[in-house]
Amino acid sequence: MQHQLERRNFLKKMQLASLAAMGSTLSFPLLSGCKEKEVIDRKADHVILLWMAGGMCHTETFDPKKYTPFEKGMESKSVISTFPSVSTAIDGINFSEGLEGIGSIMDRGTLLRSYRAADLGHILHTRHQYHWHTCYEPPQSVQVPHIGAWIAKEMGPVNPVMPPFIDIGQRFTVGEGEELKAFHSAGFLGTEYGPFIIPDPRRGLESVRPPHGMTIKRFERRQQLYQELVKNSPMGEHGSDYQQESLVRSMERAYALLKSPDASAFDLNAEPSKSFDRYNTGRFGQGCLLARRLVENGARFVSVTTEYEPFLGWDTHENGHIRLKKMKKEIDAPIHQLIVDLDERGLLDRTIVILASEFSRDMLMEGRPGLTVKDQVTVPDYVEDLKNYGMHRHFTDGCSILMWGGGIRRGHIIGETADERPFSATTEPIYIDQIHQSVYHALGIPEETNYIIEGRPFYTTPDGLGKPLMELFS
Amino acid sequence: MCSKIKSKSPFTQLSAWILVVSLACSGCRHHSETPVNHRYAALETDVLLAGWKQTLEDTELSADEKDRLNLHVRAIFAHRCFGCHSTSKHKGALVLDAKSGVFEGGDNGPIIVPGDAGASEIMRRVRLPESHDDVMPPEDGKLTDAEIETLALWINQGATWTDRQLKIFREAPLALAKPPLPDQDDDHPIDQWVSKYFDENDIDWPQLIDDRGFIRRVHLDVVGLLPSDDVVEAFISNRDPNKRTKLIDTLLMDRQNYAVHWMTFWNDLLRNDYSGTGFITNGRKQISGWLFEALTENMPYDAMVSQLLNPTEASEGFIQGIQWRGEVNASQRIELQAAQNISQTLLGLNLKCASCHNSFVNNVTLQQAYDFAQVFADSTLELYRCDKPTGKSAKPSFIFPELGLIEGDSLSDRLASLVDVLVQPDNGRLYRTVVNRYWAKFFGRGLVAPVDEMDNRPWSEALLDWLAADFRENGSDLTLLIRQIVTSKTYQLEPASYPNPLYLKSSQFVFEGPMARKMTAEQFADAVSSICTPMYHSLAFDPHGRDMTAKWIWMRQEEFDRTVLPYPGVRYFRHGFSIPQPAALSAAHILIAVDHEYDLYVNQQQLGSGVDWHEVDRYDVLEVLEKQNIIAIKAVNDGEIPNHAGILFALKLDYTDGRSDTIFSDDSWLVTDSLTSEKWTHYSYDDGDWEDAWKAGNYAKSHWGRLLNFTFDEADNDRLARAGLVKLDPFLKGLGRPSRENVLTQRDDAPTLLQALLLSNDQFFARVIAEGAEEWVSDYGTDRELLIDQLYQTALGRLPTEKEKMQLIDVMSTQPSVEEVSDVIWSVLLLPEFLFI
Repeated sequence: MQHQLERRNFLKKMQLASLAAMGSTLSFPLLSGCKEKEVIDRKADHVILLWMAGGMCHTETFDPKKYTPFEKGMESKSVISTFPSVSTAIDGINFSEGLEGIGSIMDRGTLLRSYRAADLGHILHTRHQYHWHTCYEPPQSVQVPHIGAWIAKEMGPVNPVMPPFIDIGQRFTVGEGEELKAFHSAGFLGTEYGPFIIPDPRRGLESVRPPHGMTIKRFERRQQLYQELVKNSPMGEHGSDYQQESLVRSMERAYALLKSPDASAFDLNAEPSKSFDRYNTGRFGQGCLLARRLVENGARFVSVTTEYEPFLGWDTHENGHIRLKKMKKEIDAPIHQLIVDLDERGLLDRTIVILASEFSRDMLMEGRPGLTVKDQVTVPDYVEDLKNYGMHRHFTDGCSILMWGGGIRRGHIIGETADERPFSATTEPIYIDQIHQSVYHALGIPEETNYIIEGRPFYTTPDGLGKPLMELFS
Repeated sequence: MCSKIKSKSPFTQLSAWILVVSLACSGCRHHSETPVNHRYAALETDVLLAGWKQTLEDTELSADEKDRLNLHVRAIFAHRCFGCHSTSKHKGALVLDAKSGVFEGGDNGPIIVPGDAGASEIMRRVRLPESHDDVMPPEDGKLTDAEIETLALWINQGATWTDRQLKIFREAPLALAKPPLPDQDDDHPIDQWVSKYFDENDIDWPQLIDDRGFIRRVHLDVVGLLPSDDVVEAFISNRDPNKRTKLIDTLLMDRQNYAVHWMTFWNDLLRNDYSGTGFITNGRKQISGWLFEALTENMPYDAMVSQLLNPTEASEGFIQGIQWRGEVNASQRIELQAAQNISQTLLGLNLKCASCHNSFVNNVTLQQAYDFAQVFADSTLELYRCDKPTGKSAKPSFIFPELGLIEGDSLSDRLASLVDVLVQPDNGRLYRTVVNRYWAKFFGRGLVAPVDEMDNRPWSEALLDWLAADFRENGSDLTLLIRQIVTSKTYQLEPASYPNPLYLKSSQFVFEGPMARKMTAEQFADAVSSICTPMYHSLAFDPHGRDMTAKWIWMRQEEFDRTVLPYPGVRYFRHGFSIPQPAALSAAHILIAVDHEYDLYVNQQQLGSGVDWHEVDRYDVLEVLEKQNIIAIKAVNDGEIPNHAGILFALKLDYTDGRSDTIFSDDSWLVTDSLTSEKWTHYSYDDGDWEDAWKAGNYAKSHWGRLLNFTFDEADNDRLARAGLVKLDPFLKGLGRPSRENVLTQRDDAPTLLQALLLSNDQFFARVIAEGAEEWVSDYGTDRELLIDQLYQTALGRLPTEKEKMQLIDVMSTQPSVEEVSDVIWSVLLLPEFLFI
C-alpha cells in the first residue's frame, strides 16, 4: 500500500506545517529553532480603542490655539479656536475647554500631536476610517483585516469565553453603513476573528446570554439534548471528522460563553448606580463603562465609538462650535473615569488605551496645504451666524492621538503643530503604520507578522515596513 | 542512496523546494526584510536539503538543471536582497537584479567566484553569525541553511546565469483535446475516468448513498432547497431504475429555483451584490438582472463570458469594477481591476501580484498585466511598479498572445476583439476553469485546487480535459455540465473522510469521493424557512422587477438642521380622502406594514393592530368606507435609541364597473407626535398644525427591501423570499456569505465561535424557530411521536432511530409545549447531519 504509506508520512508533515500555517505566527520561531531575538517583551494584554468618528478637530480639543470668541460678522479666516484653553495635569500643556476631565489624567499617558492622516484624494470619512483601522488604503485586491482582528488572530482571547474582538457603539444601518462594514471585518484572516458587535451597550448582555425568554435551566437542557443527539446520530457517515468536530466544538464554546458567569461583564445593570452615573453621558459613555467591565473580565480588544453617521457626531459641516460642546460633554467624563478606574484596579499597566479619529478639521483648510481637494464644505467669508462658527472642513495635516497604559509613558508629549493656520504638524509627522506597530509592539506581536494570501504575503502593516514609535514607551 | 538516481532524484527534491519557497515569498515586501514565512519554508526544506546536499556534491548538473537552479538563486536574491541591492536601491553599489550587477559586485569588489563557493565573498557574508557587523542580510535574520546551501551549490556548479527566458512556474496547457475514454466497465464517462484513477491509486469504489441521501444532496446542490416530504416519499417508493436521472432532469427544469440558487455562486464569483461599498457614489453597478436572466434562460457559458467582457448596459457592472472616490493605488485602478477579475474568475490566473511587479506566484510580468489592462483603458496606461511610475507604457494585449492579437482603436472594438481571442475553442483554459469550479461545488474540492490557480496540476488531467472538452462540445451548456456531473456514480458516493483542510488544498491530495460540504448561509436559511417559518420577507433584488408605489413614511427628525434617524416614541398619522359614490364600490382592501407597531383606524373605527412589519396585514374595509374618509394610524418606534421606523400602506378600491383606485402612503399624509384631543381619529379633528409626513426614502429600499407579501394579488402571497436574493444581513454574514467587494471563490467554511453564538442566541433565529414550533405544535401537538418522525423526515430525510426517538420523547411532555418543540427543532437544525450536504 504505497499510497497509504506516503499519505501517512505526508500527513505527519502536514500536521507540522498546518500548525505553522494556521497557528499564530509566534510559533514560527519555535518550530524553526530561531533564536529568542523574535520574542518581544509583552507590555500589554488588552487594548481599548476610543474612536472619535467623524473627524475630531485637534485645535478644538487636545491641541488648542488662540481663542477667537464669536463676534457677529467676524472674518472666517480670523477664527482660530472657538473655545478658550484650560490647563491639564501636565505643566504647559493645555486642552480646549470642556475636556478638563481628560486633562486631569494626562499625567498618566502620552499625548501625540503630530499625527498625519493619509492622502486619499477625496477627504472621505469612511475611506480614511478604513485606512486608520486596517492600515491599508482602500481599495485592496483582497479584504484586509481590522486591527482588532489581527490582534484576535495573533493573541486569541485572554479569557477563553470572551470574544477576542468586541466592537461597541456602531450601527451599520445608518448612512454609509456599507462602507463601515467594509473594514469592520477580519478579512482574509477568516470570520472567526471578526468583530463581536454590540451597537447599544445597554443591550450588550443580550448578545451573551441565552435567547430572550429562555431560562438557564432550559438552556442547559437544550444543550444536553443537542449533545446527545450529536453523539447518537449516524454522524460518522456524514462529513469528514475535522468539520464535525469543529462545529461541535464551536457550539460548546458558545454554550460555555453564554452560560459563563463572566457574561455578566456585559451587563451594565450590574454596575453600582453611582459608578454607572459617572459614565452615563449617553451611548459612548456607557460604551466606555462596558469596555472597562469587559477588560476586567478578560476581553482582548475592545473598540468604543462615538458612532459614525454622515454629518453627525464629530462630523460638523455646520454648527461646529455648538455641537462640539455636546461632543466634549459626551466623552470627557467617561474617558476620565475609564482611565482612573483601570488605574485603580491595576489594569492600566496592562491595557493600552488609544483615543483617535480619522483626521482633524479646520475652518478653512480642506485636506492639507498644497493639496487640491474636491467637494469642500462651503464656508462664507464672514461669520454672520453662530451656525457658521466652527471647524467645518476636513484637515489631515495635524491630528492628535492620546494613549495611555500598557507601557505607554506617563505624562509625556510627542510632536507639535503650528500656532498659525495651517495648523500642520511642525515636527516629524507620525503615520498610521507607526501607530499600529506601536500597539503590536506593546502586545508583543512581531513587526513582520504576515500571512500568504493568494500567493502574496500580507503584513500587519503594508509591506511589513511600519516601525513602532519607541518614544511612546518608557 | 543509490548513485544511479542521483541525477534525477535530487532535482525532484529541488523543484519541490522551489515550489515551497516561491509560495512563501512573493509580495512587495520581498524587497526588504525577511518574511516570517521563510522560516516555515525552511521547515520542510531542511529535510529535503539534508538528502540532496550529499548527493549533489560531486555531481555535475545538466544545463537545464543549472538553469533552474539559477532561477532558484534569483528567487533568493529577489526575496532576501532586493530591499537593499536592486536597480532602484543599490547599497554598496551592489545590484543583484541583473546579471551584470551580480558578477561585477559592488564597492568591495566581486562577490562571486564561479566554481568556488569557499572563495566567494557572498558566501562569507551570509555565513557570518547573526551578531556580526558584516553579516548579510544585516537585519531580520540570516538566510536559512537551505538558502545558504543553495547559493553554495549554485556557485560550485559554476554560477550559471541563464539568458533563456524561463518560466519558473508550471503553466497549464491552453489547448484542449478530448482524450479518448479509458476502456473501463462503467457506463458514465466520469466514472470510467475515476475507475481508472481508483485502480491506479489502489482505491476501492466506495458505497453509493441511498435514495434518501441522494435526493437531499441533489436538491440542495441543484436548486438549493430541501426536498419536500411527499417528493421524498414518492422518490423512495418509485421503482424506476432511472429515477435518479429523471429526478435530476426535473430539477434542472425548475429554472426559477435553479437560477436563485446559482445566483449565489455567480454573485460571489463576479463580486456582484445588491448592496455594499461603492453603490453610494454610483461607483459600482449591479448585474443581477442580467445574471438572473442568463441563468433562467440557460445562456451558454461562452455567451455569458462574451457579454461580461463586451457588455451590454445590463452586464457592464462586471468589468467596470468598483470605482472609489479619491486616489487609489495604481494596481487598483479600474482597468487593472478588470484585468485581475477576468483573469481570476474566468481563467483561474492570479494577476494581482503582476499588477504591482513581475509575479512571484506565476509567470506573468508587470508588462503583461498592464497590457491586458490597456484593453479596457481609454488612454495609454503608464506602468507603475509598486505604485511608482516606470516611464514604460502599455500596449493592449491578452495575457496569452498565442491565442490572438487584440485589435481596434476604440474601446468597443478592443472589447469585441478580446471576446474573439478569449472565447474560442482553442482557449481550453476558459473551459477547464469553469468546469473545475463546478466540480468543486459538487465535490468540495476541485480537480485543480485552489480553484483560482488553474496552473496547478489536477488530480486527474484526463478527467478535467474530458469534462472541459465535453462541456465545450455541448455548446457550453451549464445545466448539461451539472447533469453530466450529478448523474455520475462518482457524485453519488458516500462522503469520503479527509484528514484536514490543508490536505484538501495540497498537491498530494488523492481523490477518494465527494467530501461533506457545509451548507451555505443561503441553503441553511432556505432550509430553516421550509422547516420553520420564512426567515425573510423582503427581497433586495426582485427578479420580477415589481415596483412599489406606496412609500415608507414617518415623521422627520432633525438635529442641528440635519435629518437623523427617528427617536423612539409614538407618532400619529392621518390621511383623508373622498369617495364620490361609496355605493359603487365592490371591494376595498388595505395592506399595511409598520415598523414597529401600529393601531389602525378608519373613520374612527379601530380595525386592528400589528407588531411585525414583515407580516403584511390585510383588512377588508368595504363596510366602513363613506363619502368622506379618514385613515388614522397610531404608530410606535420601539427601542431606546434612534432607529428606523416607517409605515407602508395601500388601500385598493374596486368598483362594480371594473375600475379600481389605489391610495398609498406618501408625503401627502400628515403626522404629529403630540395630540391636542382624543378625537384625532375623527374626520372633523383639526390637523392644521400637523406636519407633512416624511418619506423615509433614503434608506427605505436598503432597509426594508421589496416586501414580497405587500401585494393585493393573493396568488402572490406567502412566497418565500429566498436568501440568495435578500440583502446581506448579520445572520447570513455570520454564516459565511461574503461581502462582495472582491472576488471570493471559496467561502470560509470552518464553523466559528461567532457563528455558534449566532446560532445559539440570535433573537432573529430564535424567533423563526419559535414561530415554526408553534406551527408544528398546532399540526402535531397531540402526537409527539408523529411530530418527531415528521420533523426528522423533513429535516434529515429519514426517520429517527429508536434511540433518538427515546431521547426526544424524553424531553417533551405528552402535549408538548412550543418551548419544548423549539428546543427539539433547534437541536436538529444544528446537527452536523443537517448542516452538511
